[in-house]
Amino acid sequence: MKQIEFTITDPLGIHARPAGQLCKAVSSMGSSVKIATDAKEADARRMMAVMGLGVKGGMTVRFTFDGASEEEDALKLEATLKEIGLI
Amino acid sequence: MFASLKKKLGFTAAEIAVSAPSAGQAVPLSEVNDPTFSEEILGKGAAIIPSEGRVVSPVDGTVELMFDTGHAVSLRSDSGAEILIHVGLDTVKLAGKHYTIHCKNGDKVGRGDLLLEFDLEAIRAEGYDPITPVIICNSEAYASVQAHTGTTVAALDALLTLKK
Repeated sequence: MKQIEFTITDPLGIHARPAGQLCKAVSSMGSSVKIATDAKEADARRMMAVMGLGVKGGMTVRFTFDGASEEEDALKLEATLKEIGLI
Repeated sequence: MFASLKKKLGFTAAEIAVSAPSAGQAVPLSEVNDPTFSEEILGKGAAIIPSEGRVVSPVDGTVELMFDTGHAVSLRSDSGAEILIHVGLDTVKLAGKHYTIHCKNGDKVGRGDLLLEFDLEAIRAEGYDPITPVIICNSEAYASVQAHTGTTVAALDALLTLKK
């Protein structure tokens, strides 16, 4: 298991577009990926659940990876979040 | 009676109907000027170029997430379809201006219940495209998502047919 935390810098948070981009990236990963706030946890492959976290700018989210490629997937995810402009 | 029977059988029915949430022109997603929608990153569906500022529920279901900005709402139909209705492109940036919310997270809604209203002309006047994609977020759960586009639709006319 591998966990990483990020503070979301996009003031608009994880709204529809970034949620879709995030889920698309996660769907191609070998690990199971969960995304959590202090209040709730969601399967990062499920866009509706990710949007449902209601993540706003300034909030910290934690990603939990589980699988053989978890180290590599964590790096990939960080790159994706930067590319989307969430962090 | 047919409607209630259909509702009862909804989760086993081979075809699930998703109605138009607004009146307007129904167009394919490929005509939406935003790759997130046109490349189906969020899922398959169709879009409506709205002619009125009202969004009603396209299905019997539950409000999963009413964005507090009012520009988008997601629902889970009683049959399990995850539907996102996104009113306008980039309209998250309006931060709630020109949108009036009429439902909240967790509300049980019937097909045709009012979800939100928006000021179509004001949104256009601020330079935003009010085109409204209607997306099936769990498209992968269906063998096909058929869009009925290329026509003028009234709210609740057929928009999408999902087949298991």
